[in-house]
Amino acid sequence: MKTARKMNIRTVAVRTAFEPLAMYLSFADEIYDISDNISEIPVFLDIEKIISIAVETGADALHPGYGFLAENAYFAQKCIDNKIIFIGPSPDAIYKMGNKTIARRLALKNKIPMAMGSDGNIADVEEAIAIASKIGYPVIIKAASGGGGRGMRIVRKAEEMEKMFYIASKEAEKAFKDPSVFIERYIENPKHIEFQILGDTKGNIVHLGERECSIQRKHQKLLEEAPSSALDKSLRKKMGEMAVRIARSVNYTSAGTVEFLLDSDRNFYFMEMNTRIQVEHPVTEIVTGIDLIEQQIRIASGEALKFGQEDIKIKGWAIECRINAEDVQAGFAPDPGKIEKLSMPEESYVRVDTGIREGSAIVANFDSMIAKLIVSGKDRKEAITNCKMALDKVWIKGTKTTLPFFRLLVRNQNFQDGNFTTAFIEKDLDKYFYYSEYEEMIAAWLATKLFIEENLQENSINVDFEDGKKMSPWLLNKRMNQF
Amino acid sequence: MNDKLQINKLYALSSENRKFGFSVPLKNKIRIGKRDYIIQLKSDEKYGTYILWKNRKYPVEIIKSRQNKYEILFNDISYTFTVETPFSLQRKKVLHSRKGKVEQEFIRAPMPGKLIDVLVREGATVLRGEPLVILEAMKMQNEILSPVNGKIVRVHAKSGTNVMKDDILVEIKVE
Repeated sequence: MKTARKMNIRTVAVRTAFEPLAMYLSFADEIYDISDNISEIPVFLDIEKIISIAVETGADALHPGYGFLAENAYFAQKCIDNKIIFIGPSPDAIYKMGNKTIARRLALKNKIPMAMGSDGNIADVEEAIAIASKIGYPVIIKAASGGGGRGMRIVRKAEEMEKMFYIASKEAEKAFKDPSVFIERYIENPKHIEFQILGDTKGNIVHLGERECSIQRKHQKLLEEAPSSALDKSLRKKMGEMAVRIARSVNYTSAGTVEFLLDSDRNFYFMEMNTRIQVEHPVTEIVTGIDLIEQQIRIASGEALKFGQEDIKIKGWAIECRINAEDVQAGFAPDPGKIEKLSMPEESYVRVDTGIREGSAIVANFDSMIAKLIVSGKDRKEAITNCKMALDKVWIKGTKTTLPFFRLLVRNQNFQDGNFTTAFIEKDLDKYFYYSEYEEMIAAWLATKLFIEENLQENSINVDFEDGKKMSPWLLNKRMNQF
Repeated sequence: MNDKLQINKLYALSSENRKFGFSVPLKNKIRIGKRDYIIQLKSDEKYGTYILWKNRKYPVEIIKSRQNKYEILFNDISYTFTVETPFSLQRKKVLHSRKGKVEQEFIRAPMPGKLIDVLVREGATVLRGEPLVILEAMKMQNEILSPVNGKIVRVHAKSGTNVMKDDILVEIKVE
């Protein structure tokens, strides 16, 4: 919506019952209020409702964000049927890339390198075992309609297949209403490298370089950067060409992402194409200087891209940390709560994307992201140094966050050397948070102070209130209790 | 008579058994190497409660305070301490040496969520690392694993129900 405003486009946002005070509303020119409508399905998943609101408000176009509807071909088609421009790719491209078995066939036809796997969906456990023994263990079971790590299970031996097949298929059915799964050879300890694609309606397709998203846990990305220290010019060119080729196979329009795995021998394998803008798109915007949302809007309104592949230059380095409401001391368990205080660094090398402000609630059934901290530098080293400083200036109270994890990560030698894979968090780290003995000593000092004040003294807690207010800072047990 | 006056030292014992000693009355300083650094507990509208230490503000909150047990969130990390006097510390040592091994393990929900599947039933034998239940929270399915070898004595978890953080899911007799 900020981009739209910059382009002099008026915006309408929907106010929901779930988040009636959400921050995105403050960026909109017009608000459509349905906050009194409490329904079973969240409105952002209710296709008919969204379309009818768009029609009623006379909207010309609709941006689906990066939620579930962004990759819903039916929704995109519904927009077209109602003469609303869907800011995204064609329903056909969404459908083909969204169905992983069709996407695999397309990649195969276009000679894109891929991990060996099943030709299509797997009917039952017996077939799964037969295919796995042909391509060799370990294998990975994936949801045909999947993405984002759900419905995925690694199987290392035949005995595990039955259980994993059952879990993956059940998870897939629940998440995507489609239990079908397929099998691929599992690439051990790869790097996750993805290419940003832009295609216009005139048939021009370019890539905007890569992002590395290897720092992930249970297939959920935590930190992304652009470019990747694992790629040199020639590999970037080769992978970029493949990414454009797969996009061309579905006449791709708008912004999309082609994901690859890169193994330790620098072989790469096509994984999937995400037919939407992604959470981590800002790092690409920073190193290319191209506003991806603006390009999406221009493409949707029929404009041709104003740059060719040779015009795209990667400059500097950008790192994005996903600050989530998670307890890193409890294995990244979600830590829902109300954001009591929020203050972000304002240095020139920092960009913060957030939909949260003080008073916002992080609820258990939405995702746990509080903010994206995006830090840049002239090279990777400077970006990491800047990131370290920026992390110490993020101030969030009300929930535990992933900040201590990032504080550890930026100090880790292997991370600094670019020496990490998607297995990094699970295998290479013995703890998930930054620990300082001095910090623990201060906490111990505070515990001792409290003990003295509660047990050995008559007078109350000795806090130096700068604003002179008489309020107890210790009203903190309310935290969590309402959830 | 006031026996409290006799205490001139207190110890904060961390959950990982690290011991931090402080003299009483408590100074507003912490010594590192040969230098003392002033430590101040403050609060204002913008930051809430914080500690000022070496020219930097650190967020701080007291999560729990019960008897002599404190959970403190400092710079986004939580620490649990019991504060002991020299006498209680001595008593604790004696008690600890008498205490036997844990016999019953209570498996609790690590986070609020919905139980997708319960994979064990009462009477079953489980091995360490074996999944007990599948808990869904924030779009992620998490397997809750058995921390011990043992026998399932009670299953409180019901598939399809919602649980709160720290609800007991399964009880295991350690073998």
